[in-house]
Amino acid sequence: MFKQKSLLTTLALLLIFSLFLVACGGTTTDPTEEEKAPADQEEATGEPKKGGSIVLGSSGEPVLFNPLYHQDSASADVTDLVFAGLMQSNENLEMVPYIAEDFPEISEDGLELTYKIREGVLFHDGQELTADDVVFTYNIFKDEDYTGPRASSFVDLEKVEALNEYEVKFTLSEADASFPTLTTYGILPKHILGDVPVADLGEYREFNIENPVGAGPFKFVSFTTGQSLELEAFEEYFEGRPNLDKVTFRFASDSNALVLLMQTGDIDWMIAPPSEIATIETFNHARVSNTLALRYDYIAWNQLNPLFQDVKVRQALTHAIDRQEIVETIMEGNATVAHAPVSPLSWAYNDNVPKFEFDPERATQLLSEAGWEPGPDGILQKDGERFSFTILSNSGNVVRRDIGIIAQQYLGQVGIEVKAEQMEWGAFLDKINPPNYDFDAIVLAWGLALDPDPTAIWHSKEIEQGLNNISYRNDRVDEIADLNKTILDQTERAAALGEIWEILAQEQPYTFMYYPQQFISLNKDVQGFTHHPRVNMYKVNEWWLDRN
Amino acid sequence: MTTYIIRRLIMMIPILFGISLISFAIMYAAPGKPAVMDLDPSISVEDREKQMEKLGLNDPPHIQYLNWMGNVLKGDFGTSFTKKQPVKDMILDRLPNTLILMVFSTILAVIIAIPFGVLSATKQYSKLDYGVTITSFLGLATPNFWLGLMLIMLFSVQLGWTPVGGVSTLGAEFSLLDRLHHLILPAIVLATADMAGLTRYTRSSMLEVINQDYIRTARSKGFPERTVIYKHGLRNGLIPIITIFGLMLPTFIGGSVIVESLFSWPGIGKLFIDATFERDYPVIMAITMFGALLTVIGNLIADILYAVLDPRIEY
Repeated sequence: MFKQKSLLTTLALLLIFSLFLVACGGTTTDPTEEEKAPADQEEATGEPKKGGSIVLGSSGEPVLFNPLYHQDSASADVTDLVFAGLMQSNENLEMVPYIAEDFPEISEDGLELTYKIREGVLFHDGQELTADDVVFTYNIFKDEDYTGPRASSFVDLEKVEALNEYEVKFTLSEADASFPTLTTYGILPKHILGDVPVADLGEYREFNIENPVGAGPFKFVSFTTGQSLELEAFEEYFEGRPNLDKVTFRFASDSNALVLLMQTGDIDWMIAPPSEIATIETFNHARVSNTLALRYDYIAWNQLNPLFQDVKVRQALTHAIDRQEIVETIMEGNATVAHAPVSPLSWAYNDNVPKFEFDPERATQLLSEAGWEPGPDGILQKDGERFSFTILSNSGNVVRRDIGIIAQQYLGQVGIEVKAEQMEWGAFLDKINPPNYDFDAIVLAWGLALDPDPTAIWHSKEIEQGLNNISYRNDRVDEIADLNKTILDQTERAAALGEIWEILAQEQPYTFMYYPQQFISLNKDVQGFTHHPRVNMYKVNEWWLDRN
Repeated sequence: MTTYIIRRLIMMIPILFGISLISFAIMYAAPGKPAVMDLDPSISVEDREKQMEKLGLNDPPHIQYLNWMGNVLKGDFGTSFTKKQPVKDMILDRLPNTLILMVFSTILAVIIAIPFGVLSATKQYSKLDYGVTITSFLGLATPNFWLGLMLIMLFSVQLGWTPVGGVSTLGAEFSLLDRLHHLILPAIVLATADMAGLTRYTRSSMLEVINQDYIRTARSKGFPERTVIYKHGLRNGLIPIITIFGLMLPTFIGGSVIVESLFSWPGIGKLFIDATFERDYPVIMAITMFGALLTVIGNLIADILYAVLDPRIEY
């Protein structure tokens, strides 16, 4: 009897104790430790050391390790380390040669690109990578049996041929300034995959999942679904053996689980959600790196809805919402107000666009010019119709939910009735994508491609089937979009694109919300880290450990 | 008895068929399409369409169902849309993890719940009884994920005694101790709800038995109280509990969803939840059918056990 009593007491105490823990959780910073910590960031002490292994935390689980077939970022993270392509983008988002010895030679008419590749680049099985492998890889995209997600990127590629062992020529049917960004795909080994029919390549598990072989800095060792993936340094990597001996990916359910693993020191690297930065900064052994992300967040106004067809109304909506306030409160200052659909990181960025600052009076004036006058209930009315609509976002995303709610309040102040709603991601996409387009306004974001071509989102030909789901239409935008990729000179092309950004900023089909920062949390032992806005794990071969 | 079992087994066929039809219909009617779940602007619409076509998603629903059914009858559960792996392999990969967790947590629940339930019944209205009752209600009312988080905060983060998640130490050789070390927290969380329910069932079942005439007879014959309770009472008191075990079988999947997600435990429950968010139809269907099969088998086992333990029941 006594025994049972004491068990109960223990249980009760445990419960109370755990309650107490919640109440004061997450405030375990040791002030002396914090003072000792370096001011922050980058390159600490001494020369890179060889050896050691690190664990990278990932909340998504990769699918397959073939750069021509994957379409999820978790797989891309792995293939970036295992494979090497002709070119790659550096941390300033410029294209730089990788396996290619130099930039391509481009013919006068822009139709022929010749790449010279480095001699002595080896695949992980010791075979040399030659022009034949490059030709083999890019011909897969052209094959009618190709089942991966990138076929239409290569419609303009007429042929690819090897001039000799180390030279490859791409011939295009139309000049394409964005083509170099398409030569970043990891090169596949012809000696392993040459005999596999292209139709079967997507499902070829022996290579894609069990034993991918590339020419990148790390060799594939093993993959245990749901748990972990192991890579080891490739001794003969052409840029020199990586500093680390081993890299392990650890898969966890979500970013909450990752934060806990970071706290206990089980992982050395993770993409940190902005909402967790304050927590992570209390961990003594971790630091946070941040940089602007290559994306922007927005509220889109569906132009199929008569409410949003008048440009004055759309301008008024933007004027009515204090985006600076949203940046400071919801984003805790980790973003910059956006005015156009192009990232400041891009060479095509144009700051010289019309800007619609927070100005509720101007908003009211514009609305009244558009014929909207306050009705008996205080809500604006025109021809007997009330200005009332729904802002939709996807559930689970707290930031977007809050943006919807804040927009609701601000727009309420100028007499617009807004309902903020949330929906499960799949259902949300179903509603906003063709052929449904069943929404008034949505809060969403675009991650941008390296090439700033605006066609996919803003061209009117993308209305019926594509990503132009707000049915935006402007002839001048179409015209420049059609033309932009044929302008080979980057400055000229930037000027042409600059005009598109100006038109879009003026017309406000979206209220461009902000350019967000992105964060990576690292163990302080990890040195030599470079934060790339687009590649999660960039130049891991240069990372090293300062661990005792 | 044999004919009864055979009859029940045959009855399973239309039941499972009906379940598959209804599940497929519901899944199909739910908004959201597979293969287009991401909005990567660099993947063109034509390429997306091609993927849909290749997965057979542009066929009318009844054709898709018949294709699926045809393959299942041949023992082929298809290939996952998102993970590109055979569904059968994926499930077989994850099943051992779920089984280990379930078996361990069930054992934990039983060895704690049944003695406490019996004690609670024999000492009705004592302090112990109240204590057990309150604790089990607390256990029933505590959400799994909350309890899990608390335990992680306490034992993993603050004290550093247990791992935060996963089934084994990364890169380490297999060791039983390491497995148990990873197993303990998720098993405790999963066992809590079961434990609480089982204690209540045991208590009420025993209470009913204790007041029966034959127990009084046994007592009056002068058997020691211990023999009366544990030999005569418990055997009969446990009959309804056994039935509950049969019915607990399907919770192998459902019950583990939250716990597996919380502890990054790669089992069936986590697979199911991921598949649902990704609209990975073949995986959803396979796990649903697996759950349905467990349910009907669980019911059958419960009925059979009932008959075995209580010879008065005839079929």
